[in-house]
Amino acid sequence: MNASTNPPPIEVHALTRRFGATTAVDGLSFRVEPGRITGFLGPNGAGKSTTLRMILGLDTPNAGHALINGRPFRSLPRPLREVGALLDAAALHPSRRARDHLAWLAASNRLPAGRVRHVLELTGLAGVAGKRAGSFSLGMRQRLGIAAALLGDPGVLLLDEPVNGLDPEGVLWMRTLMKSLAAEGRTVLVSSHLISEMALTADHLIVIGRGRLLADTGVREFIRAAGPGASLEDAYMRLTAASVEYRANPNPAADPNPASTSRS
Amino acid sequence: MTTASAPIPTTPASRGAALPALLRSEWIKLRAQRSTFIAAAAALILGLGVGLLDVLSVTGHWATMSAADRAGFDPVGDPLSGFQFGELALGALGVLAVSTEYATGMIRTTLTAAPRRTVLYTAKALALGVFALLVSELCAFSAFLLGQLVLRREHLNVPVTDAHVLRAVTCAGLYAAVVAMVGFGLGALLRHTAAAICAMFALVFLAYPLARTFEGASYLPDHLLLINAASALATVHPPAGPHAARVPSFGFALFDLALYLAVFLGFGAWRATRDA
Repeated sequence: MNASTNPPPIEVHALTRRFGATTAVDGLSFRVEPGRITGFLGPNGAGKSTTLRMILGLDTPNAGHALINGRPFRSLPRPLREVGALLDAAALHPSRRARDHLAWLAASNRLPAGRVRHVLELTGLAGVAGKRAGSFSLGMRQRLGIAAALLGDPGVLLLDEPVNGLDPEGVLWMRTLMKSLAAEGRTVLVSSHLISEMALTADHLIVIGRGRLLADTGVREFIRAAGPGASLEDAYMRLTAASVEYRANPNPAADPNPASTSRS
Repeated sequence: MTTASAPIPTTPASRGAALPALLRSEWIKLRAQRSTFIAAAAALILGLGVGLLDVLSVTGHWATMSAADRAGFDPVGDPLSGFQFGELALGALGVLAVSTEYATGMIRTTLTAAPRRTVLYTAKALALGVFALLVSELCAFSAFLLGQLVLRREHLNVPVTDAHVLRAVTCAGLYAAVVAMVGFGLGALLRHTAAAICAMFALVFLAYPLARTFEGASYLPDHLLLINAASALATVHPPAGPHAARVPSFGFALFDLALYLAVFLGFGAWRATRDA
């Protein structure tokens, strides 16, 4: 990958999406670089999913744009070859067999049938390929979603809560897989609520709150900026304190001072 | 690092090459979905079974039947009478081919593999249309042939070479395939299985009494009904009695099919090209 001449794998520019009177995403701009895992963090309702949906052309922005390798997603001729996405594990038909779910995806982008076998083995689903997806546990569905995302051997991966429903062994497997995908030079954008998981996997963080960018920085710099002895969780809580929309216990003990956090 | 940005490149989005790949993909979806074969089997069983009961009843009572009843008998229309039920199974097949994709959320996966809504919708409609036409023609011809076997006992059978016989059987299949596509259009429009099946049911059956309330002024609403179009398409004898005025001409009935196809596929296309 000659990154010097290529456009950024993921570029979001002044992206805005309103639903009625609410502005879910508000002039959001960032780039995601290849070769590392970028964590996409923010409180519930911060606009993470809406942003991912707009990158994937599922939602139309009111303003701004999102580009994959310099092009809008909807103009990609064979999108699975460029972007693999795991949106939610339930996005499949329960009466279809795992193998068929991957087969129709492969056919739509003219991918060779060998890729279906390959990703089934890679995700440990080869033994249950003939079973209907409805009989799968959440963890197995999640693996099938990963298999679908990797089907086209894409350079860009968008993973929404990938460790959801996975057992400890599955979590470890996912962590190792994401790291190896990034090490191969791929662009990996992972949204998650699990700060501890991000501390173990992410190299870089993009944090949003109320649809706006709060931080776009390396994980180490992010923690360092929160002060001596702070954990990633501490740093995150301080940064997002002002933009949490739904709080169970309104007791803002932390200093809501996001301005002190560095942006790169 | 979040500032500089290139303007949106104007890449030509439409390229026809995607259609064959998506057709293959949609066909795999259709054949890998259990409801497809359940609905097709239901169409076949109902279409053949009810038609068979009808002709068995006719041949059983032919000797004692009144002249009027004998005149009302249609050697093609009667064996195909099960179509009223078979068509609903085909309509449900059409609904399920698209509505489950929205109900399960799978449409998001589909759109990340095939982001061009228009090409995707075309591929879906074509894949289902060809399959529905094959199933409904299979239904029509097997119901006709089975009926003729039974009718032969009373020498009431007609050869397929007789005037309008082949036309009536083929049109019966065409008609049921159009019902499947109306279901498909409603499924794409409403994105909800139960709602779309109810709407399809209402359109096929409940519109009949509604159209009759206009009969004082005009028979045009009657002529625009699928169920009356079927009476013109899938029979060899022109309808007699008070019902005759409700049945459109053969040409008008073909126009009805084209109209339903255009309107409901159009509604579906309008909604399917919106955000999911």
